[in-house]
Amino acid sequence: MKLKESIESVRNLFRADSDPFPKNSESTEELRVKYMGRKGLVADLFSSMKDVSSDERPLAGKLLNELKQEIASVFDSHKDSPDDPMKIINGESDYTLPGLKFPTGNVHPLQQTMEDIKSIFMNIGFSVTYGPEIDDDFHNFSALNFPPEHPARDMQDTFFIDPETVLRTHTSNVQIHLMEEQDPPLRFIVPGRVYRNEAISYKSYCLFHQVEGLYVDKHVSFADQKGILEYFVKRMFGSDAKMRFRPSFFPFTEPSAEVDIWSEKRGQWLEILGCGMVDPEVFKSVNIDSDVWHGFAFGMGVERICMLKYDIDDIRLLYQGDMRFLEQF
Amino acid sequence: MRISINWLKEFVDTPGNTQEIADTLTMLGLEAEEGLDTSKLKDIIIGEVKECIKHPNADKLKLCQVYDGNKTLPVVCGAPNVASGQKIAFAPVGSILPGDFKIGKAKIRGEVSQGMICSESEMGISDEHDGIMILDTTAKNGSALVDYLNEHSASIELDITPNRPDCFSHLGVARDLAVKIKSHLKTPEYKKREFITNKAEDFVSVVFENADDCPRYVAGIVKNVKVRPSPEWLKNRLESIGQRPINNIVDISNYVMMEMGHPTHIFDYDKLGSKEILIRRGKKGEKITTLDEVERKLSPNELLITNGESPIAIAGIMGGLESAVTEATENILIESAYFDAPTIRKGAKALGMSTDASKRFERGADPNGAESAFWRVICLVEDVTGGEWVPGIVDPYPKKTVQPSVLLTRAKLDLLSGCEIEDTFIVNTLSDLGFNVNGKSIEWKCTPPSWRPDLEREVDLIEEVIRIFGYDNVPSKYHYSGIMESHEPDPHKGISTIMSILSGLGFTQVFNNSLQSRRKVSILNILPVKVMNPLSDTMSHLRTSLIQGLLSTTDYNFKNGWPELRLVEWGNVFEQKSPGFKGIVEKFQLSGIIHGNITKNSVHSKKSRPASFLALKGMVDALLLRLNIHNFEFKSEADTTLGFTNAFSIKHNGETIGIIGDISSKFGSTMNLDLGSTFGFQFDLNKVMALANEKVTYQSIATYPMVERDLNFVVNEEMLVGEINRTIINNGRSILKKVEAVNVFRHESVGKGKKAVAFNLVFQSSSKTLEDKDVNPVIDEIIRVVSKKYSANLR
Repeated sequence: MKLKESIESVRNLFRADSDPFPKNSESTEELRVKYMGRKGLVADLFSSMKDVSSDERPLAGKLLNELKQEIASVFDSHKDSPDDPMKIINGESDYTLPGLKFPTGNVHPLQQTMEDIKSIFMNIGFSVTYGPEIDDDFHNFSALNFPPEHPARDMQDTFFIDPETVLRTHTSNVQIHLMEEQDPPLRFIVPGRVYRNEAISYKSYCLFHQVEGLYVDKHVSFADQKGILEYFVKRMFGSDAKMRFRPSFFPFTEPSAEVDIWSEKRGQWLEILGCGMVDPEVFKSVNIDSDVWHGFAFGMGVERICMLKYDIDDIRLLYQGDMRFLEQF
Repeated sequence: MRISINWLKEFVDTPGNTQEIADTLTMLGLEAEEGLDTSKLKDIIIGEVKECIKHPNADKLKLCQVYDGNKTLPVVCGAPNVASGQKIAFAPVGSILPGDFKIGKAKIRGEVSQGMICSESEMGISDEHDGIMILDTTAKNGSALVDYLNEHSASIELDITPNRPDCFSHLGVARDLAVKIKSHLKTPEYKKREFITNKAEDFVSVVFENADDCPRYVAGIVKNVKVRPSPEWLKNRLESIGQRPINNIVDISNYVMMEMGHPTHIFDYDKLGSKEILIRRGKKGEKITTLDEVERKLSPNELLITNGESPIAIAGIMGGLESAVTEATENILIESAYFDAPTIRKGAKALGMSTDASKRFERGADPNGAESAFWRVICLVEDVTGGEWVPGIVDPYPKKTVQPSVLLTRAKLDLLSGCEIEDTFIVNTLSDLGFNVNGKSIEWKCTPPSWRPDLEREVDLIEEVIRIFGYDNVPSKYHYSGIMESHEPDPHKGISTIMSILSGLGFTQVFNNSLQSRRKVSILNILPVKVMNPLSDTMSHLRTSLIQGLLSTTDYNFKNGWPELRLVEWGNVFEQKSPGFKGIVEKFQLSGIIHGNITKNSVHSKKSRPASFLALKGMVDALLLRLNIHNFEFKSEADTTLGFTNAFSIKHNGETIGIIGDISSKFGSTMNLDLGSTFGFQFDLNKVMALANEKVTYQSIATYPMVERDLNFVVNEEMLVGEINRTIINNGRSILKKVEAVNVFRHESVGKGKKAVAFNLVFQSSSKTLEDKDVNPVIDEIIRVVSKKYSANLR
């Protein structure tokens, strides 16, 4: 086959021309145009394909492509590094050298914790919804049974935009939006950023993330709440996690509870979430009949869970963006 | 609220130690912590000062002989109050005090000292550092101080929730504890006094401006009191909960408040200036100097106790200095009132005050407690100060507070608790808590006690029953009936996909503060949302973009020596589009920024590649393609107010979904950063997530061979490669699958002001093997159009 011979001759010609490989870009470009240009030698060979019989065409095509790849790879290999650090002698290579470096990035530990929390609740049939960070007094306080001039309002130091508008102090505001918009039964969690007007220290920041949960149906009891939150704690912290429910107070739940988990390392109980049966006043504010519908709500700080999970002792690290911290996750 | 264990045990018999009591209270909803950490004091023992003489070589030091139960040791002590015969806290040689302070054998001014006599502050017990801690004379020499402390001043700190005003007292806490451990509750010893003629009325009358502000005001008179320091038992009680004793009158008032929970106030009767007490709101311009010697400006927000003319106390918050009890006081007026909770809270908030009294009133006091506290004070004042009670009591109580009864039903209790609790337990619990309970098994009519303003509804009662029953005794249910929904459960599902793609592209995710300084948020031409009560000037506004935070973080890391940075953040940014709440817009964004190098130096490549616009463009391309967003294009963006220069908006079907470009130098100059070039992108995250959700449809794989051709055009420098590329695509008919610029070459041989641009074209048909006769006409047409449109020549 004539073409096959032509291919070989172009190959030999190129090998001669490219050794040594040109040192400057101008000569490199000339070499490239000679072989790979539109009217270059390889293009000529391609155009002579039409004279090859159809039987031989697949083989010719294969050889031609191989040539083209060989030439291209020579150009590629001379793009950057002039000498190969891998070479030792006699064609042997040093495979103990470090691998090529590829950039890696990290997903923030808070994001990872948030995804963990979401997936645990989605596994047991909770949906996820979101809401505004700036809200009116009604959704953040009044509808959640924080009457004006009630000391319960002191439980959450609040940033105000104006006297009737706040940076939400919890994602519970979305509870109200949700119940205004949808009829029960409801089973949702609400992750999001919340704000507290508290001095910044190793244990508190002016904002944090919360996951609020709400489950409303006809027969939801305190015992169901215990079961579901126990499921969460065991999935999050391990099936041998030790936990307790202890009575507490939140205006929007009655009875209310806080959940602690036992930290062997610190030798103490650590609070991880607050919860309780939805207060009838809350149902009233969204026109849901509390004689028919019952439910429970809970709220947890994502930072707190994240810090427990990864043994982080300073909340500010989560907001500093320090690569020495973030690259560990 | 600090609770003394000894005091608590006056009202309830409990065998428990401090830790056990704290645990029981915690599980009742009264979160308790041991008041004093004694773990660092186990080396300290009780000693006795046998002898105390002046140090021979120092005026302010004393040389003591301390008996440690075994032997007598010389100890040099600088405390002014040390004296022979005292029982003291002794740290022997070798012991370690809090703060890792090790006691060694020392020579002080020539005298040997073997140990230390400790003050309360040295042991971390209190801030008292004026002298050493002096113990009871009954303390046993050589025994551990910790045991002494546990016995004498063991206390716990309770975190009282706003619904439990009754637990701001030892009696209230004892009641809960007694109910839980099924023990009898003992009450303070005092009796209501009888009288024939009400002589108190000759001394004082009480008038209300508005009885809603002050439903009840109990007042009485004690004559000829002797004001002096309180007896030891009274002082000790107050000190055991961290209260400073003042004088017997003031101490009694405080004692009764800590014991029974009801705040009282005692006036110097002779300084009232009138026999009439008028309770009214403040007036603008009025002033009073309170007990803490601060002049307070008053307003109609505060409720005042006045002598008919001028204020003598701010009701429920603090008394006035002028009418305060002093050593010269002889006759006193005792006030024990019941004020309206919201009124007191409003006043305290307006004045920025929070006192022991205001805390109790604003959570809801006990109208009946006002009377019992009054009699308790009278009894103590007579006992302690030698005063004589003027028979009678002034007690206007126009609208008696009636506790409405609440119906508790078995059905609701079972439904809400999810478990069955026995009838007897329910009845006993509620009765012991102070309810009046009537009825049986199916429903009970319950009248709550007057000290529990938080119990008004059936759910409140259910909580009480479950609380005492024990949350831990309610069985957990692990199966529940519920709804099944088929919609996508998480509308933000896309975020985790985006973060995983971007981390693969080398981006690290950060979360930055949404609160920023005015200066920072004002870099962009967006009206920011302002916080009314910011923590500081650096956090007075809500962020208008994620770029500022990303730049600060970049700067921080750059200074820590990170030469290559790719950072990404998602979150809300805010704009005040028009005035008021309704004018606030929250925008959900995703932004990233690259800075420094994008490849790392290594043995394989000495040359690191700097970050560039095109590097970022490649990353954004990759992100969008991985999200299955295909038909996007970069359109030059002229609007420089968006914070980017050399900017391109990223469009999808004509709609802008984001922007990419060089980060405007305005940021760096305003924020005083010296970062050099940074490149960034910003996406409308809702739009990106919506597009990423679009269904992917499989395209069948073309099996016919591809035909590649290269075209090398010489054009003027100013011609844009992307434009030519697009023109080639648009003229590729249906067989041109891909065009990419593969080389740009500049040389004399090309011509001055010219460049040679090589494009690689890939043709493929889905129905046949392409031949020259198929491809050539298309190539010819492309050459013709490009040559004409861009004055290009084929090289």
